[in-house]
Amino acid sequence: MNRRKEPHRLQQAGDAFSAYGDVCDRESVASLADKFLEGKLNMLFHRNHDSGPAPSAGRILLAGFLAVCLTAPTPAQTSRSVPDVTAMSMEDLMNLQVTSVSKRTQKVADAAAAIFVITQEDIRRSGATSIPEALRLAPGLEVARIDQNKWAIGSRGFNGRFDNKLLVLIDGRSVYTPLFSGVYWNVQDVMLEDVDRIEVIRGPGATLWGANAVDGVINVITKKAKATQSAVVTAGAGTDERAAGGVRYGGKLGDNTYYRAYTKYFDWGPSAYPSGMTAHDGWDALRGGFRADWTPAGANSLTVQGDVYRSRFDETLTVASLSAPYSNTFPNDGKYSGGNILGRWNHTSERSSMSLQMYYDNTTITDHSLFGDHQNILDLDFQHGFHVGDSQQFVWGLGYRSIRDKNESSFTVSLQPNQVTLNQFSTFLQDEISLVDNRLQITLGSKFERNEFTGFEIEPNARLLWNLTPNQSVWTAVSRAVRTPALTEEGLRLNSAVIPPGAPSNPTPFPAVIAVFGSHQFNSEDLLAYELGYRVQATSNLSLDIATFYNNYSNLRTAEPGTPFVEGSPAPTDIVIPFVAGNKMSGGTYGVELFADWKVVPKWRLAGSYSYLQMDIHKNANSLDPTPDNPNGSSPRHQWYLRSSIDLPKHFDQDTTLRFVDQLPGLNVPSYYSLDAHLGWRPVTRVELSIGGQNLLNNWHFEFMPDFVNTSPTVVKRSIFGSITVKF
Amino acid sequence: MILRRLGILIVALSVSLSWAPDAFAQARDSSDSSEYLIKAGFIFNFAKFVEWPATAFVQPDSPIVIGILGMDPFGTIIDQIVQDKKIGARGFVVKRLKWGSDIKELRDCKILFVSASERAHIDELVQIVKGQPILTVGETPGFAERGGIIRFTVEDNKVRFEINVEAAHQAELTISSRLLTLARIVQQPSVEVRKPG
Repeated sequence: MNRRKEPHRLQQAGDAFSAYGDVCDRESVASLADKFLEGKLNMLFHRNHDSGPAPSAGRILLAGFLAVCLTAPTPAQTSRSVPDVTAMSMEDLMNLQVTSVSKRTQKVADAAAAIFVITQEDIRRSGATSIPEALRLAPGLEVARIDQNKWAIGSRGFNGRFDNKLLVLIDGRSVYTPLFSGVYWNVQDVMLEDVDRIEVIRGPGATLWGANAVDGVINVITKKAKATQSAVVTAGAGTDERAAGGVRYGGKLGDNTYYRAYTKYFDWGPSAYPSGMTAHDGWDALRGGFRADWTPAGANSLTVQGDVYRSRFDETLTVASLSAPYSNTFPNDGKYSGGNILGRWNHTSERSSMSLQMYYDNTTITDHSLFGDHQNILDLDFQHGFHVGDSQQFVWGLGYRSIRDKNESSFTVSLQPNQVTLNQFSTFLQDEISLVDNRLQITLGSKFERNEFTGFEIEPNARLLWNLTPNQSVWTAVSRAVRTPALTEEGLRLNSAVIPPGAPSNPTPFPAVIAVFGSHQFNSEDLLAYELGYRVQATSNLSLDIATFYNNYSNLRTAEPGTPFVEGSPAPTDIVIPFVAGNKMSGGTYGVELFADWKVVPKWRLAGSYSYLQMDIHKNANSLDPTPDNPNGSSPRHQWYLRSSIDLPKHFDQDTTLRFVDQLPGLNVPSYYSLDAHLGWRPVTRVELSIGGQNLLNNWHFEFMPDFVNTSPTVVKRSIFGSITVKF
Repeated sequence: MILRRLGILIVALSVSLSWAPDAFAQARDSSDSSEYLIKAGFIFNFAKFVEWPATAFVQPDSPIVIGILGMDPFGTIIDQIVQDKKIGARGFVVKRLKWGSDIKELRDCKILFVSASERAHIDELVQIVKGQPILTVGETPGFAERGGIIRFTVEDNKVRFEINVEAAHQAELTISSRLLTLARIVQQPSVEVRKPG
């Protein structure tokens, strides 16, 4: 009957897409003090309304006065510290929303994993206008922009544009593409105002989410339609993001059905090269979507949601060719389009919960100079969770996924076969056992799945959480995860360079093509991960979260040289020097991630994060891979940020973040500092004005370099973006 | 290197801690736990709208003892809420109790909040406090059906509560109609009621 109070594993079965149930179920953005302030104000105004409406200037003044009362420590204040709920009537109490950070920390504190939650409020206050930018708030995550429309986002190493060890879901729909085992970050977007939270899990989550949740899982979770019942119009403009706008409308059909629909558009101008020359990397995107939730009285609920989008992008591309000058650099453009529709049925009772989810997802990439791909994915997922006795919760599930891929090749990139259908089956079971008055939680589980490339895979884990005191917990986990081969690793041919005939390294009369090939012998990459973490809520306003890990990888991908061969018929046209995908790299990575959150005074919060990563990955003795591009140098060793969030009087709020990202020696990217600042103002409750600046310290910096596909890297410039949001 | 960074972090934290004691005292003002703040507000209201039998208190100004059994989700909130508050002549005392060792002290409580950590002991607890004028308040699903008096729920991010009127009656507590109109009334399953003795 009351789902939220159900233990989180069961919720998870119900809320299949959420990492740890409703980790923090806050819909409102106001801090608690503000909530009470609002509550009190509303009460005051109700009284005022009896004797005539209060003038709005008076309202603002009063709000300012109360804000000052709440911030300024006066003897009277310190003696009575908690907002005085005893002065409120039962009815007022019943109307208050539960909006707690500590509910979040409580639930997060119950997770035996390195989990971090980015809330709607965090996103709004950061000024982020895209999911990748919002992800910079997660401690330890590596977020780097390659050019205006390309990102490299990774967790615990191995970062790259085609990072293949991070699983990303939006409302339970996996957006990890089986084409290259990564994420098209430029098409993953939602109406940011509708995001409830983004859950970021560093470390493996394969037992629940399956193959490819190797080094991390990101869950973008949007609000229920009931929580987005107003109309919202937003418009903004800036130096990088030249124009952006969105409209959302939420409504109600009958007693039990809520819906919303949105459309949004943005246009990013081009960035620049270090010389100051304007680059060719602008892009735009238009998307729209809806969500409807039907919750009749009783145990069942049904959600249907979907999106359609199209996006155009520019880039400067360098490709090899068989004729002089054997390499061409030219401005290229392409298009992404797609859509998805998802349905989810939940059935929840006191002791168990069930969910059945089905979605269909289409992605089409059109890039005539490089590659075209048309992918259809059908995914079915069933989960069932129930209590066994008083101390055990059992969850199991079944999954089926069908992937149809059709592609068009170019000289540079080709994929065999042109058309393929893959079927994947999976099942998982997990048992969570509570011992010693629920102070000790043991979670044991495993995923079993079958794919068409490597057959049967098993991904078990064991997790232990120990609540030392109500405010302190220690957790540890041992997990196995695999990263199954992508279509490209099976059937790709990428012509990465051509050595002209007669060049010192090519004595033949034919051009020599250096080509990377996929292989049917390519196997899954394996991880055995050991994690240990500690969390403490030191006082009601200071919390600290530490996670450490040691990851042991084997069968990592290498490019093994093959036997050169002659191509062309009847007359030979070129010699191919092949490098074939192999599994001859292994090693360990270890690191620590810290996050501290300190509410200095009710209206000033400081958050800090530091992460350290050491990678010791090496090719096996039997590997002949000559490329120096081992992953050790593509992730920063040190990263930290310090973020200050201040609630100012008169409904202003101000956030400043200073970030440091260490150098990427493998990519020749120097370390950088970035100072981001954001100011929000709500002159009236329905209107919000926002202005944000990014990278304020420098004119520009590099964040990453392209890999595999040779596009020209561009810089991240200092930028400003301002917007207005109106709610009706 | 990492140790140095850790060291710096710890030094920075401790410096800030010693440097800002006032800030801390002040910051405790608004605990983040709005859910339990609201629930604490309700508990105070329960004390106002529930009448205990005259025999329940030794003296007219005996305090209302609020017991928190098991893992305490309130932190210091509830202490601060009821501090210096009076209902009639009665003040409040908050006690933290452990299952097992503090069973005897359960009987001193007028309001007993049963934390979710004690969900395994609910049936036993109901037996122990049976017939005593103790307002039991819980959160575990089924708490009221199993003989607890009031159970908090959270629905659509708002705190709601259920009342088992029969259990209140057995505890000789008189619940004001103001509370009853706001609550969802819960019946004990008939099997339980028919149980002989």
